[in-house]
Amino acid sequence: MFDNYLIRKDSLENVEENGKITGFKFAVRIADYRGCFLSLHNGYYITVDGTEYPRELQRFEINGKAPRTFEELKTATLEHWNYDDEAYVYVKKDGGLAPGLHKVGLQQSILSQYGYAKHDEEWVKNPPVPGSGDGAGKTFVVCYYDLELQK
Amino acid sequence: MAIKRGVSLYSYQQSQFFKKMDWKDQVREVREGLGADGVEIIDEATIRDYPFPSDQFVYEWHNYLARYRCKAITMDVYLDTMQWRDHVMNHEEAAERLKFDIMIAAKLGFRNVRCLCAVPIDVIEMALPTAEKYDVRIGKEIHAPFPIKRYPEGVTREGMGGFPINDRMCEEIMALADKYHTKYVGLVPDFGIFQHSASQPRIDWQKRHCKYPEAIDFIVQNKLNYSVPEMIRLLQEKYPDEEWHARGWTGIQVEGLMQHESSAQPEDLREIVPYIVSMHGKFYQMTEIPGEPGHYEDKAIDYANPIRVLNQEGFEGYIDSEYEGQRDQQDRGIEFLSDEVEEVRRHHEMLQRLFDTMK
Repeated sequence: MFDNYLIRKDSLENVEENGKITGFKFAVRIADYRGCFLSLHNGYYITVDGTEYPRELQRFEINGKAPRTFEELKTATLEHWNYDDEAYVYVKKDGGLAPGLHKVGLQQSILSQYGYAKHDEEWVKNPPVPGSGDGAGKTFVVCYYDLELQK
Repeated sequence: MAIKRGVSLYSYQQSQFFKKMDWKDQVREVREGLGADGVEIIDEATIRDYPFPSDQFVYEWHNYLARYRCKAITMDVYLDTMQWRDHVMNHEEAAERLKFDIMIAAKLGFRNVRCLCAVPIDVIEMALPTAEKYDVRIGKEIHAPFPIKRYPEGVTREGMGGFPINDRMCEEIMALADKYHTKYVGLVPDFGIFQHSASQPRIDWQKRHCKYPEAIDFIVQNKLNYSVPEMIRLLQEKYPDEEWHARGWTGIQVEGLMQHESSAQPEDLREIVPYIVSMHGKFYQMTEIPGEPGHYEDKAIDYANPIRVLNQEGFEGYIDSEYEGQRDQQDRGIEFLSDEVEEVRRHHEMLQRLFDTMK
């Protein structure tokens, strides 16, 4: 679902903080037909040109607030990511990405459910690692995008 | 009196995603494009800032439905058991979520909420007084692969969530309604339970993502000749390289492509008609019936026989279109996206024709 459209094509940029390039960011939409409580967001499987950037290096910007880590988002139990809204994923990488085209792979992990499941207790203790397909919404595959670095 | 036509705005999820239509445009289409008046929504898709819609949203919602003389029929609500993250939501908490959703539904003028197959019966029982107080019926969805009637002795099947399918789900709901002599709990059958084969958009998606598209044809053409495990074994022998499909050969994919039986029979509807709150008209692709210009059908789902039964049993509720085929056509360029508005219009041509003729 929305396989080709989860990342906005012209949104890949390096991120500058205090005069230093600390990483990159891109704009995403939810891979589902409904929004979700932010606490359910468990991060992304992200690769850029074959290098994986795990959840610990990621932050998520939504609802006009500063980017938050996925540990911080766990406590946003009543705050919603509206279906209509674009969010930004920030990824830590000293020096950012080089100018030019990059191949970005993406799979979300949002723990939205349709009721009780056998894995519930396990997921409280050990949430799935993004990329396993758990929480991928209605987009089961890892989707790849050729993105030009904007700045 | 007759069966009535409505639309779940779920059908326009792609148009909403690409900002071609917002919910106001969708409501207008229901009235002006379809001549229908039933509106169903997904709470987390349509309600801005769910679960705390602003007064402005509520005001505009009522105003638009009034402007287009539409009725708020059913609001689809969910159960995210991981919401609190530090513990699994218990049944009392699940009931609180359902009660709050009922209050939101009431605020927006909905007659019903649709809850999921996997919502435990005690959760519904706990929310029942709230449903009665707010005059909102709780309808439990009968979604494939759930059946209407229980399986023969000894037969079990596994469903979503990894648990065995509760094949007494419908019995439990009817018993609960009878126990309290209430109409505030009932069922929302989805026409997906009458799907008998894989949809063409799904088959085509699989072919585009398979290194050997002919393997997908082989599966579909031979679905009656092998069991699912036999088919998987055969494919592994025929195509030993593991990288040949984006998702690997999981049973689910093969099972879906090999579908040749529906999870319920049209006749099964007879005993549940008095308990039906509203229905979901799931469909994937409407194609013109050969030799009948302007008449459409979904080749994967039986509509005619269930509607005949519903007519005979005097069902007078809403069937709300639930278009889902767009999802399998979003892996290519914009020019290949499906036209949701046209698909739903075709679906309504079929619905009205079958309402009028399947007696």
